[in-house]
Amino acid sequence: MNATPVAVLGTLADFHREPIPYNLGALIRLVRAIHPDLLCLDITSHEWQTRDFARLPLEYREALVPLAGQTDIVVVPVADERPRPEEELRGARAAIARKIMSALAYVQRSAPSPAAINEGVRHHLANDLYQLLAGLQGKAMREEATLHASRLAANIVRAARRDPGRRVLVVVNVRFCHYLRRLLRNYLDLQVVRFSEL
Amino acid sequence: MSLVVILSEPRLRREAWRALLQAQPGIKVVACVGETSGLADLEAPEQGVAMLVDMEDLLVETLRLTARLRPAWGALVLVRTYERREIAPLLRAGAMGVLTRDSTVAEIVSALVASARGELVLPGSLTPELLTDLLGRALSSTDDIPALSPREEEVLRLLAHGLTNKAIAQDLLLSVRTVESHLRAIYAKLQVASRTEAVLWAVAHMNPPPG
Repeated sequence: MNATPVAVLGTLADFHREPIPYNLGALIRLVRAIHPDLLCLDITSHEWQTRDFARLPLEYREALVPLAGQTDIVVVPVADERPRPEEELRGARAAIARKIMSALAYVQRSAPSPAAINEGVRHHLANDLYQLLAGLQGKAMREEATLHASRLAANIVRAARRDPGRRVLVVVNVRFCHYLRRLLRNYLDLQVVRFSEL
Repeated sequence: MSLVVILSEPRLRREAWRALLQAQPGIKVVACVGETSGLADLEAPEQGVAMLVDMEDLLVETLRLTARLRPAWGALVLVRTYERREIAPLLRAGAMGVLTRDSTVAEIVSALVASARGELVLPGSLTPELLTDLLGRALSSTDDIPALSPREEEVLRLLAHGLTNKAIAQDLLLSVRTVESHLRAIYAKLQVASRTEAVLWAVAHMNPPPG
């Protein structure tokens, strides 16, 4: 049996509503074109079963869940629980966070294509900026985010092993992409590929 | 891409369906007709077509005519409520599925995709009774029972609840292609030729009965 191909695609939450090349329409077209067998989303089983999408990010609510409903794409909820919202920063840390956010916004808004968000210099720079932001949030929040990503990875592996050989696309906020890919590469029965190669 | 033909008498309703469905990904409306005579000359494939039937009257007669003109098309009929005595005659007349008018757009699109593939679309709570009505025969429960894997049993049980391949896949968190592969294995083990026969086998043999 060949290794199960897995691609991780990053999304931009509310930025997708803006008139940028990687807007909601572009995301829908991209995922429809990839047409994975399994679409792993950062949703809990409870949210999926009760169709409680109110707290989900825009790109799930308004793009991917409706797309899956109208195609053969099967959604696999891979979150164990929803992480605590990030705390509001104060003082100097808040000022630094604003600067980082504005740099992130520039990097993401100016990306010419979805590929530019998900690969290459912009992708690495965005990841570094997210790391800095996480650093400002304090140790407890950082550990919680790491734990959340680890659980996502474990559930993705479980989904891939339940249906080996199928094409698995993971769509999560771009901040988790690097970490998830790194974790998933540890599994010999998975082959982490670019989304364009899935 | 699932091809859809709309059969509905009022022109405005036909055009509304066309506008609504045309906007859905994966759906292509190939024609809208007001009466069954319009189906005969339509240039559309013989297979892989779903027909959305939204008629107020003479449904059974319409379906019989349709089945004669286009036997391989999957007719999906809109009904007021899921009542066995209303649905069974429609299935006997050739309908591949029914949906109530309360259904969401997503449910209708998903049902049309399933009908175009030749899958039955039935309310889960009534499926066993409806299929027994439809085929009009009871299977002996003393037949040899082939060994299905636990996964195949799960798939067959959900099939007998009237779920489409996509719904089975979503329920088990498996890909649709994997469910199709399990179904092929199930058909071979049960020595049946169709989805309907497999469901009827499940109704007769699976204990407790599904539904």
